[in-house]
Amino acid sequence: MESLVLSKNKLPELINKISSEHILYGPTEENNYSSFKQILNFDEMNLSYLLSRVSPKSILFKQTETLFKFIPGRKGSVKSSEIPEEKSVIFAIRPCDARSFSILDGVFNGDYEDPFYISKRKNTVLIGLTCNKPEQNCFCTTFDDSPGSSKNLDILLTELNNNYLVEVVTEKGNNLLKNMRSLLKEASKEEIQERKEIEEHAISTINRKMNLEGIVPKLDKMFDHELWHNTAFKCIGCGICTFLCPTCHCFDMQDEGTLKEGARIRVWDSCMYPEYTHHASGHNPRPARMNRVRNRVYHKFSYFPKNEDVTACTGCARCIDYCPVNIDIIDVIDKVGAILIE
Amino acid sequence: MTTTQPKAEVKEFEPNIIGFLCNWCSYAGADLAGTSRIQYSPNIKIIKVMCSGRVNPMFVVNALQQGADGVLIGGCHPGDCHYQHGNYLARRRIGVLKKVLEFMGIDERRVRMTWVSAAEGRKFAEVIEEITDDIRKLGPLKQLKRVNEW
Amino acid sequence: MVDQKLLVEEVKKIVSQEDVKYVIGYKKGTYGFAISPAFAYSPEYVDKFIFNPLCKKNLAVYPILEEKLPLKKGEKADTRKIGVIVKGCDSRALNQIIQEKGQKRENLVIIGIPCTGVIDQKKIISKFPNVTDYTDIEEKNGNYKISINGEVHNIPKEELLADFCTSCVAPNPVIYDILIGDEVEPWEPQEHNNLKELNEKTIEEKWAYWEEHFQRCIRCYACREACPLCYCKECMADMLTPQWIRRSVNLSENTAWNIMRAYHLAGRCVGCGECESVCPVNIPLMELNKQIENDVKEMFNYTAGMDVDEKPLFGMFRPDDPEEFIL
Repeated sequence: MESLVLSKNKLPELINKISSEHILYGPTEENNYSSFKQILNFDEMNLSYLLSRVSPKSILFKQTETLFKFIPGRKGSVKSSEIPEEKSVIFAIRPCDARSFSILDGVFNGDYEDPFYISKRKNTVLIGLTCNKPEQNCFCTTFDDSPGSSKNLDILLTELNNNYLVEVVTEKGNNLLKNMRSLLKEASKEEIQERKEIEEHAISTINRKMNLEGIVPKLDKMFDHELWHNTAFKCIGCGICTFLCPTCHCFDMQDEGTLKEGARIRVWDSCMYPEYTHHASGHNPRPARMNRVRNRVYHKFSYFPKNEDVTACTGCARCIDYCPVNIDIIDVIDKVGAILIE
Repeated sequence: MTTTQPKAEVKEFEPNIIGFLCNWCSYAGADLAGTSRIQYSPNIKIIKVMCSGRVNPMFVVNALQQGADGVLIGGCHPGDCHYQHGNYLARRRIGVLKKVLEFMGIDERRVRMTWVSAAEGRKFAEVIEEITDDIRKLGPLKQLKRVNEW
Repeated sequence: MVDQKLLVEEVKKIVSQEDVKYVIGYKKGTYGFAISPAFAYSPEYVDKFIFNPLCKKNLAVYPILEEKLPLKKGEKADTRKIGVIVKGCDSRALNQIIQEKGQKRENLVIIGIPCTGVIDQKKIISKFPNVTDYTDIEEKNGNYKISINGEVHNIPKEELLADFCTSCVAPNPVIYDILIGDEVEPWEPQEHNNLKELNEKTIEEKWAYWEEHFQRCIRCYACREACPLCYCKECMADMLTPQWIRRSVNLSENTAWNIMRAYHLAGRCVGCGECESVCPVNIPLMELNKQIENDVKEMFNYTAGMDVDEKPLFGMFRPDDPEEFIL
């Protein structure tokens, strides 16, 4: 891994260079929350953000995606959507959100291959920004991740006093910076040390932790435990947790169109809605909120670890922060851990 | 020498209007207008409903989404409703819907309501002329229309 | 301010009644200023109950969420009552639900708490970011006295008060079986936020304003689920035959959804502000709701949820309703 330094006043130049050749997504602030949007000008970006409200999964796994178009009738035809090939860059993504992509890879590039996601993933360079001030509910350290982890990124930036420390992690990242070398210089030992201290400080401010030890086998034994009833009592089934979650990936497919033409689209869905599992027969295998709340926990902390060998949670704490009724996933897992089962 | 001037082809905007007319009065009124050979703008497309009270306000929103520039709801005169008071209820609903649309920035004149009895073929034609004129002036609806691009 | 002891004592009495299944109240949340709804099945659990200005959540949403799953053979339906702790606006919501026959009055034990306004979570979090715990919070002489880590902060009430509380017309519960504490002096309701400003805009400006907001809507329907009055068995937005609103997320469908939500709450919205405060993308839904509330008041002299015997707005009419818009 190569460590370079970029002075802060050269960042706009770097951004403009990147955006001239790539579609650039970056964090913007509007209406008191930040979200990832396409950036045309450096000034649109707000790098002092903490976490975008809706996770950047929305860039690779769009909320509404057209799968194919069709013309109905006897002379009808089907035309699949073009697979996007544009080169793009996601700038200033947080390490936890970057980790979500490696989790989603197992879904969209596993047993079933989703050409849209795969193509976008292949053509997207992830430039991370370390999280220097995690907020009160962050718990990424639970998953052997850290606010300064470069594991799932192509390039990682760390904000130092006057500079950004640029760590080039992958070949993809190296290629991106090829013709921008003039803006960068070699990092000194002190700067690398400074970055280390910043990361250690950030880790020390994380005060929440989830105890995952033995959770997977334990969940197997407590499918019918009353804990799920008790947790689901206060759930209003709003689905905010799943919509904001960086690893939730459930979707619904619908045909829509006019008399002349139409398309099959894929839209985000949420397992917290009763319609999600509603069969055409009228039967619903998850009829109660209890079933749905339980499914969310099991999917992330039992099924996913079994199938993909990774917990489908990044510790970004969006679901904790924005749950209107304080269903706290750390609290739920702690309760699971505390229950004694013979 | 005469140069052929290109004809000034100003194609006036022709609005698309959906009319929800009640079976017992307004629709019969429209029928009368037709059988009496009264001329009125062809911009209105009529959908017959059993009562103006049947018109779910989402019908209106949906019509606007699907390409209508204006919507007309026609019912019986107050007191004449075949179902006693369907038109009274419709009046409340549409009145509030117009307020909601106006507040959101969709001109409330695009949603109109009228009382036309089965004997008022003349009035029906006049009403159609009036709203067609109004909506023609307002121009095409931009706000709610579905793009239908995938 | 409500006497904590009195609250716990009274609720304990209610939970102990044989015909009461459980009582819904508030307890401290798992972090920071979070408040969690709490369900007390036994008197011992009631010790956790609190009430402070952070208790914003409208609990009137819960009795209607009570799931009635198919009974097993020989099983008898549980017909015991449900107790709910309500503030002024929450009680109006219950009133409205009962009026619409969504709930039966006799199935509820309503525990009223006079309210002097609640704190907006977003405001207090931006004022005190990263506070992991607080010891006490109370309202005193127009200030909120907040004790954090032994330090006492005095914050003027206006700075933290939720916006919709300024236009509250019923700080005291309008329907209750038992009232905890004394009634408070109602205040003069003020115009909500920038409603006046918004009304002075031209129609193009209005659309530009809402277009920007609706564009961002992610259609998670949290506004619907959090609303105590959105309790249809199947929401029109979820229907497939006919499909009223397409699932794809774009401006047209988002606008249609927002018109539908706002419209279906016309003459029913009680102004509890739940929809706006749960919205993950900060759409000012209360501006819409309040505007319609004002319109309905002006047109029909109707205020939602004040009188349990009144008929729902769209379920009745008067021959002399305004009709100047009719051709």
